[in-house]
Amino acid sequence: MQSDVLSEEIMETDVLVIGGGPAGLMAAINAAEKGASVIVVDKANTKRSGAGACGNDHFRAYIPEFHGSDMESVVEEVWKSQAGWTRSYEFMKTWISNTYDIVRMWDSWGIPMKQNGKWDFAGHTFPGGTFTTLHYDGINQKPILTEQAKKRGVKIVNRVAVFDLIADQDGRISGAVGVHAREDRVITFLSRAVVLSTGGCVRLYSGITPGWLFNRADPPHTTGDGRAMAYRAGAELINMEIPARWAGPKYFARCGKGTWIGVLRDPQDNPVGPFVEKPDRRYGDPISDFYKEVFEDYHKSGRGPVYMDCRGISDSDYKYMMHFMRHEALNGILNHFEEEGIDPKNNPVEFMTYEMSSRGGIYYNERGETSLEGLYAAGDEYFGGVSGASTIGWLAGANAADFVEKRKSPSSNTGKDKALEVANMVKEIRNRKNCPAWQEFNIAINQVMTDYAGPVRSATLLEAGSLHLQRIKKKAYEIMQAGNQHELLHCLEVLNLLDVAESVFSAVSERKETRDKFKRVDYPYKNPFFDNKVLVCRKAADGPVLEWRSLK
Amino acid sequence: MPPIINEDICTGCGICAERCPQDVFFGSERKKPPVVSFPEECWHCYACVMDCPTEGAITLRTPVPMMLNYK
Repeated sequence: MQSDVLSEEIMETDVLVIGGGPAGLMAAINAAEKGASVIVVDKANTKRSGAGACGNDHFRAYIPEFHGSDMESVVEEVWKSQAGWTRSYEFMKTWISNTYDIVRMWDSWGIPMKQNGKWDFAGHTFPGGTFTTLHYDGINQKPILTEQAKKRGVKIVNRVAVFDLIADQDGRISGAVGVHAREDRVITFLSRAVVLSTGGCVRLYSGITPGWLFNRADPPHTTGDGRAMAYRAGAELINMEIPARWAGPKYFARCGKGTWIGVLRDPQDNPVGPFVEKPDRRYGDPISDFYKEVFEDYHKSGRGPVYMDCRGISDSDYKYMMHFMRHEALNGILNHFEEEGIDPKNNPVEFMTYEMSSRGGIYYNERGETSLEGLYAAGDEYFGGVSGASTIGWLAGANAADFVEKRKSPSSNTGKDKALEVANMVKEIRNRKNCPAWQEFNIAINQVMTDYAGPVRSATLLEAGSLHLQRIKKKAYEIMQAGNQHELLHCLEVLNLLDVAESVFSAVSERKETRDKFKRVDYPYKNPFFDNKVLVCRKAADGPVLEWRSLK
Repeated sequence: MPPIINEDICTGCGICAERCPQDVFFGSERKKPPVVSFPEECWHCYACVMDCPTEGAITLRTPVPMMLNYK
């Protein structure tokens, strides 16, 4: 059946950036500065989309005026705090060494990076440790970055969800096909390089509120779209098997615990960690940085709950905390304080460990290059927070522009086949009747991930879960239905989650050992063969292929 | 369920519907107060409240399952 949806809607550009967060917008700005024509496509609106939508308050940085000439201690600290053994040290070094430039650039654009004229480092550290997080006023970072991109001639295309990449005859990535979020339109983007920056992968595991899909610590509209389209195109993913857990206030799932200035205490008011005894803006309580499961473990052993206890906070630290809670986009929490008359100065608030997620993502290097020619990636496509995103995004944009320069001939692929394939799929999803909606599939994915590739992992469970996942995937492609364009976008997200889930299952099955937070009940020991190695996963014609790589 | 629109003071400027990252205002029409089509998808990011030019035109209510536990 030929789709009549396809209305030859084609947009051409040198560099296509998919996802307009700090990574994507910085890539776009730099590519445009290098002279490339740039389109940023975002499934929401670049002014308020993704994990940096309504602000961030801390930025990993090396600032010579603050740190002196000792950059190495900052690199070391960030490397360690980001599960160093899963990351290349070279990558961390390039990232951190570029932060000073980025920070000054942002400040000059109107994102206040200083407090009262001074660099202010606080939080995510312990007494005696190296300070690496620069506090800044990030509430309007996204509108400002959007403005900076526009100033340089970047074209912003909002409300289009890109679903698949286009490759040319030589396998180089040369565009993508997207679906409009509100109208029945399929749009083809033809480019000479693509930067993926769609954010993290939320909604993969069951959340903290049963049956509630959107109560998540990170934004629930970031559903691993970039990972999934890269994986389908044959790009390498990395660390997909490594679990990540976040923690924060109980029941109101929200990242940003580093902004709270208090002491984590048990019900008898004893601190659960060794680092702080009274609220101190310099540290917060770093125990939950090193040990995010502290809340879950206290609960399971009957010693809980554990509270974030800000009692005894000084007036100036209280003002400081409230200021940065706004910039860290904790408005929902602040509003709830008002609704219920909760005052953190008097009321300890219970914290919890949130659900599992995968630490992994697209394998990109310090130049933003992926394993596919013409395809770049940055930001939460892998990791690094707002600092890693903006820094590697900036570098990825420059490298993508350079690549465009070198790549003389435009692609011969018009993207017609891919556009038709997507258009036909979309039409089928929209035309189905009496079939399951996207929520059923999303919940089914959450179940199978949590039960078979979650806290308890073994060969037999993984095999059974993987079989179930394949059945869910087959059904999703055959019978999932959408009543309107909004639901259609969720259907596409579900298809993306299924591919990410597949890569997690394969990678967890391959790592037959226990190491740090990665646990296999059937291999409860560390296998020295895997020392200094990372696991890379890519999709081949007959399924996922795994490969161990040395970490340089 | 959130968000709640005060139609008496909403000017129908459409900024909330333009910017909501979850697109909970899907189906809203220009120059009319927004329709809250997918309230259960609100993430409480506050983009709509922050960027609304008319203070009080949009408020968000915390759903009961998301209430904080405190002492």
